[in-house]
Amino acid sequence: MNQYGMLVDLTKCIGCRGCQVACKQWNDMPAELTRNRGTYQNPPRLTSKTMTNIEFREVELKDKLAWVFVKRQCMHCEHPGCVAACTVGALQKRAEGPVVYDENRCIGCRYCMYACPFGVPTFEWDQTFALIKKCEMCIDRVDAGMKPACAKTCPAGAIQFGNREELLTVARERVYAKNSPYIKHIYGEEEVGGTSWMYLSSVPFEQIGFPTLPKETPVYLNDKVLHATPTIALGMALALSGVYWMVKRRNVIREYLAAENHEK
Amino acid sequence: MAQKIARTFIGEIKSFPAWLWVLIALTVFGLGVGVYRLAVGLGTTTNLNHGYPWGLWIGFDLFVVAFSGGAFTLATLVYVFQMHEFHAATRPTVLTGLLGYASVLIILVMDLGRWDRFYHFMIFPNINSALFEVSWCILLYTTVLISEFSPVFFQRLGWQRVLDVIKKITVPLVIIGATLSTLHQSSLGSLFIVMSERLHPLWYTPLIPFFFFVSSVAAGLAMIIGGATISYWVFKQSLPQKVVGSFGWFLPWVLGFYAIMKLGELLIAEEIGLLLTANLYSVLFWSELIIGCAIPIVMFMSKTVRHNRVWTLIGALFVLFGIFLNRFDAAWFALKPAPGFEYTPHWMEIAIQFGVLSAMAVVYTLIGRYFPLFEETVHNGDAEKFHVVASAPAE
Repeated sequence: MNQYGMLVDLTKCIGCRGCQVACKQWNDMPAELTRNRGTYQNPPRLTSKTMTNIEFREVELKDKLAWVFVKRQCMHCEHPGCVAACTVGALQKRAEGPVVYDENRCIGCRYCMYACPFGVPTFEWDQTFALIKKCEMCIDRVDAGMKPACAKTCPAGAIQFGNREELLTVARERVYAKNSPYIKHIYGEEEVGGTSWMYLSSVPFEQIGFPTLPKETPVYLNDKVLHATPTIALGMALALSGVYWMVKRRNVIREYLAAENHEK
Repeated sequence: MAQKIARTFIGEIKSFPAWLWVLIALTVFGLGVGVYRLAVGLGTTTNLNHGYPWGLWIGFDLFVVAFSGGAFTLATLVYVFQMHEFHAATRPTVLTGLLGYASVLIILVMDLGRWDRFYHFMIFPNINSALFEVSWCILLYTTVLISEFSPVFFQRLGWQRVLDVIKKITVPLVIIGATLSTLHQSSLGSLFIVMSERLHPLWYTPLIPFFFFVSSVAAGLAMIIGGATISYWVFKQSLPQKVVGSFGWFLPWVLGFYAIMKLGELLIAEEIGLLLTANLYSVLFWSELIIGCAIPIVMFMSKTVRHNRVWTLIGALFVLFGIFLNRFDAAWFALKPAPGFEYTPHWMEIAIQFGVLSAMAVVYTLIGRYFPLFEETVHNGDAEKFHVVASAPAE
């Protein structure tokens, strides 16, 4: 499996939000008008104008208040629910890893928003003709041999881009090293069948807003059920035709017997 | 000549009852709001948001499709199982189904961010998408329903040859229609399979497509009963109560099977304990089971209920309420809320929804007034009376 991956080391992130800005610049996204909500986290969440966002999480670490900065964006699942769900196939999983989006196909049905276990795809609520927006792992840059904009810009080296397997080895080395500050969990290694983006943290992931997810993905079941469609259709059509024939035959015999009795 | 036509036309309009005018007003208002929605987008006209990308409209779509299941249920009973005693109910029921699907198609277009691209599902297939399958089945099935209903128009026009052709292909048409219904009624349930992280475990199960299908049969039977009873009052023309009641006879079987399967699934999945914890979800689930299943099962087991028009209608309304709640639970109430988001429908969402439903009621009423919708009932009853009711009122 020679796929691209991204590794975010939350212990290295300094919360500068350079990645947020780089993402907006590369993807030509506008700024957002927001209000001061008593936090540095701005904008408050992923929106159709902000495809990556740094969350400023306040947690207690060894009885002390600590800040953890969490980068949010599409996780680029190995088995993406959004790709299975998309009515028109506008979302696709590329063989190299990124989950890409074709805005010329999208009809704006928003099924992907429900199918995503991470709540990532966003919708342009302010547009008359509205589409979905989500991180595409800078597929245009990657195709041209460059790193995604966020990884390129990160001054702290918290965001690494590379081969997923190699990054996983790096991650394991860090997590299982002596006196490692990390919790023994590489988020994204196995969640819903694995994601291209993986996270290391010194704080349990459920405390910093990561959903606790099973290893299994519902995508297998979804595909199995939908691939049964032709069988169900054929079975139903044959069964109904059979019933029709039997009932008709029964009525013919009944009439015949009735006529015979009548003649007697 | 022109004057005479105009006079007849005005005379007709003047003869509309007040409630029909109310429905027409709601339709026109809904149409206006709908055009505004298409012009300015979903953000200003709905309260849908990042946490609740779907809302009232999807809930109604799911319910109206289940409700319209009466069309395929009845067509199967009449043409496949050849229970000819039910024949008289087919035209009104197929019309209700057809209008139900038409309303769903309109609302689905309203719900699309890029409504101008509604046809994209035809040119960009994704065979893994439940919504793709649903879109195709609904489109094809609506075509089947139009064909099934077309004799009403051809009869009025007196096109005997076309009528003969349709009569010949009715049985294959019904079988195709029932097959398409099986597919999309169930795949509306499959829609939720990929949402394992969003839908509450009381509703989330790999069997959800099967549950959606079975409950659509129950909703369909209740719809036939409701339709027959209401047209008895509105058009003074309907099925004998004996026939209406015999649709009720099926309900305890279908609902009983449905309830046992649902409870059995919870037992096997070891989620039955969720029913004993007091929270919104268990209350919703119990309401579905008690109001939508237990009460109507007991009611329709009684002959006294089945022989009484009002009681059969009340029983059918219980069933419809249960299925209504089930579909709204799946599409809205039992979806895990996204933190920081709330949703109550915007008045424009409600105006558009009720505008479309009113439009369907208006179309139904007008077809009932001017086309041979109850033609089949002639066999049972009084031809004179039929003529007065179904043709245009005298000048």
